[in-house]
Amino acid sequence: MRLEFIVNDKKRVLEVAADKRLIDILREDLGLMGTKEGCGEGECGACTILLDGKAVHSCLLVAAQMPGRQVTTIEGLEKNGRLDPLQSAFVEEVAIQCGYCTPGMILSAKALLLENPAPTETEIRRALAGNICRCSGYTQIIRAVERAAREGGADI
Amino acid sequence: MEFNMKNLKIVGVSHPIHDAEAKVRGNAIYTGDMQFAGMQYAAMLLSPKPHALIKSIDASEALALDGVETVLHCFNTTERTFSRFQKLSRQPGIMNQERVFNRELRQIGDRVACVVAETPEIARQAVRLIKVEYEELSFTTDVHEVLKGALAGMHPEGVSFEFEREMGDKSLVAQDCVETVTHSIMDRVSHAAMEPHACVAYYNKSMDELTIWSPNQGVFGVRTMIADLFEMQYHKVRVIKTTMGGSFGAKQDWILEPVAACATLATGKPVKVVYSREQVMLNTSCRAPYIADVKSKFTRDGLLQSLDIDVILDAGAYLGNTMAYIKYQSTLVPRTYQYPYARYRGQAVCTNGTTSGGLRGWSSGELCLFVEHNLNIVARRLDIDPLELRLKNVHMPWNKEMANNISLEEIRAKECLELGREKFAWDEKKQSDADFNLKNKRYQRGVGVSCGGHLNGYFPINFDFTGVEIRFTESGSAIVNVAVHDHGCGTVQAFKMIAAETLGLPVDMVWVAEGDSAYNPFDTGCYASRSIYVIGRAVKDCCHKLQEQLLQDMACVLSMPVEDLEIVDAQVRAKNDPSTCFSYTDAVHKILFTLQKEVSAKHQYKNTTNCGVMGTHFAHVEVDTWTGMTKILDYLAVHDIGKAINPEICRAQVQGAVVMGSGIALTETMHTNPKTGKSVSSLKDYHVMNAWEAPQVQVLFIEDGLTEGPYGAKSIGEASLVPVTAAIVGAVNEALQSDFCECPLNPDKIVALMQERMKKECV
Repeated sequence: MRLEFIVNDKKRVLEVAADKRLIDILREDLGLMGTKEGCGEGECGACTILLDGKAVHSCLLVAAQMPGRQVTTIEGLEKNGRLDPLQSAFVEEVAIQCGYCTPGMILSAKALLLENPAPTETEIRRALAGNICRCSGYTQIIRAVERAAREGGADI
Repeated sequence: MEFNMKNLKIVGVSHPIHDAEAKVRGNAIYTGDMQFAGMQYAAMLLSPKPHALIKSIDASEALALDGVETVLHCFNTTERTFSRFQKLSRQPGIMNQERVFNRELRQIGDRVACVVAETPEIARQAVRLIKVEYEELSFTTDVHEVLKGALAGMHPEGVSFEFEREMGDKSLVAQDCVETVTHSIMDRVSHAAMEPHACVAYYNKSMDELTIWSPNQGVFGVRTMIADLFEMQYHKVRVIKTTMGGSFGAKQDWILEPVAACATLATGKPVKVVYSREQVMLNTSCRAPYIADVKSKFTRDGLLQSLDIDVILDAGAYLGNTMAYIKYQSTLVPRTYQYPYARYRGQAVCTNGTTSGGLRGWSSGELCLFVEHNLNIVARRLDIDPLELRLKNVHMPWNKEMANNISLEEIRAKECLELGREKFAWDEKKQSDADFNLKNKRYQRGVGVSCGGHLNGYFPINFDFTGVEIRFTESGSAIVNVAVHDHGCGTVQAFKMIAAETLGLPVDMVWVAEGDSAYNPFDTGCYASRSIYVIGRAVKDCCHKLQEQLLQDMACVLSMPVEDLEIVDAQVRAKNDPSTCFSYTDAVHKILFTLQKEVSAKHQYKNTTNCGVMGTHFAHVEVDTWTGMTKILDYLAVHDIGKAINPEICRAQVQGAVVMGSGIALTETMHTNPKTGKSVSSLKDYHVMNAWEAPQVQVLFIEDGLTEGPYGAKSIGEASLVPVTAAIVGAVNEALQSDFCECPLNPDKIVALMQERMKKECV
């Protein structure tokens, strides 16, 4: 099928199979390797992207669902060479270890902050419940989201 | 090692890890992200049978599919066997039991065949077209059946391995002891590293050179095993460690490396293989299921006299590392408590279950659970507070452990316990729980404490040396060449910090290379919590050597006695003449142009210590006796870390270990169905704790900096997992006044226990 959609603010037109998974389109057709596959069944959250501003699993979506939609991947967060406040906060708060969950974790947090710019710890924990981090106990990640919310201001 | 900790500028200050910025941007390159021109993709067919012989394979339809390069299987690939656990050339004590593609399939998930094709889709499609004729063989996942003779012919060298040892002096055991026997069971556990296993390999036929990229814990181990398997010279195989999305021991066995190597050797094209989560769970490794019996003898006033430990470990289809694993477990027996005598007997038994491998702590967390559970029951019988019982028995500094008679040096077990008692409010919590439990029927609360002694490096079990090379660049920065394998927990950053601190440079003026068998000095791999303690120490020593070399070379350049020169704040200075002062870059240029020399140093370090390292953990839980759900209300981990090189990363690792160990205690099981032989192979059914369920974990470090490790550091990554499961299980048993130790203590088991109690009460 012919797929026309917006990825990281850019219009993209592709010829793909209607049942091709969004994660494969992003990685194989568009070379956006920041989106990671951890389980392929919507359990780990590593492949989370923003679809029209909401956090979703890109491993559970297929091309047929995508025409006209807006997708943001981790590569789309940096604006004019500046990291998104969430990205900076994850670095500053030492919220990165193996990094495999990081893109998905940041995008789930991004969806939360777009909807709720000043979340409580409980709200952050709930918003990140679909993203597994095996390295940390989530402490630094939660702190990073709190910091981005506090310091991000209009950049979020 | 004496040094002034107060003068440290970098070590002890929290830093993000070296590739944190790349990771938040999504441009850190993991193996699955690698691309080469002409790359081929491998897709695997794994065995659907727990035990079968392949009678025939018809790959004609798969081969006919457009884009398929080849189909590899047991009838067209090497019949040589390998051990996934091979780390050394001529390694004693390993069994070569596996082929790249086995003809006798010994577990669900064993490797049957692999399609190499132009795209991953074509490869996966072609896998479905392969026709395999199986001759089913009888199977079992029950270790007791195997010990009675089932599966006798499955491996020519036998299907079980036994190891027994005594430690200490039995004659010193006091008479009139209280004997307590406890029984523990642990189910199969997945490492669940978020990055699934992956490997890229390329064989350049004209050069006869094979290069392998994978997230592995030991490039020289992979090189050795691959070269031995495919009968190549070691210099013809180059292994490069890639960014690793977590290991926890999962990536210390070589499984995809032989597959990718086999595929590129067959095609002469670069081949990538990436496992799905199901393939990771079925065909890589897991933490073995255990059955353990512990018999302890205590004096009536609570002094431990002896431990008698019997362990049966279900190795799964292949012995892998399990023979080493149980031997290693025996050496951990005397590292927590001081007592006269211990006997350990371990049996590694092959079944048709998923093959096991090392998980973070390498048997230490399991042993801790078995022993600590016993201690909790003893405390109850002797009416001694569980924390008091531990205080009476933990090792004191400079005690010798009885497995190898080496000093535990500055072990701080007692301090950990006392600090934890205060900060966790142990006594207050016990009292308030007693009140709470009296007033509540449905919810019951309890506290648990556990002590887990661990190791730093192989010494004295195996030889434990490493090599480092460091050179100054002309711009005055330093390049550290060492076979480090960062699992994702910041080892590279820690090494950068150690080198920067020692050389007086800013951290970003140091670059640390990761594992590359073509260029690194030889090393045995990043296992056994040796990275910081052993390799980090080698880096520090090599930095000193580099500075000595710089001084010597500058003495030559300046025609001055070397004793008259010193290095202060990254400058070479004459001690008596402040005007003679050269920055590193100026000094390096002087030496380059005057002496025609590069300033570099080479160092081999042989570790000859293994100080005591102790984690003391405190858990407070609330059990819902109606649903069987357990909530962790509070958790404190105290570690005698020696010196936290990068403190926030150390805390994050401890917190991660607590979440992992809590999962092992309460939710995680790769349970194997005995009727089908199939293990849980999906994260849908395998419950890793998420941010919502994870407890708040307080972490305290006792830092005395008095070890042989760099800046006095001890191990933490594995040590932090050791006491967790025991602390949680202890707390649950305290809450329920029960004595069961069948991990995971999931709702099913707790509800069953409650129902059993109700039945008894009704009778």
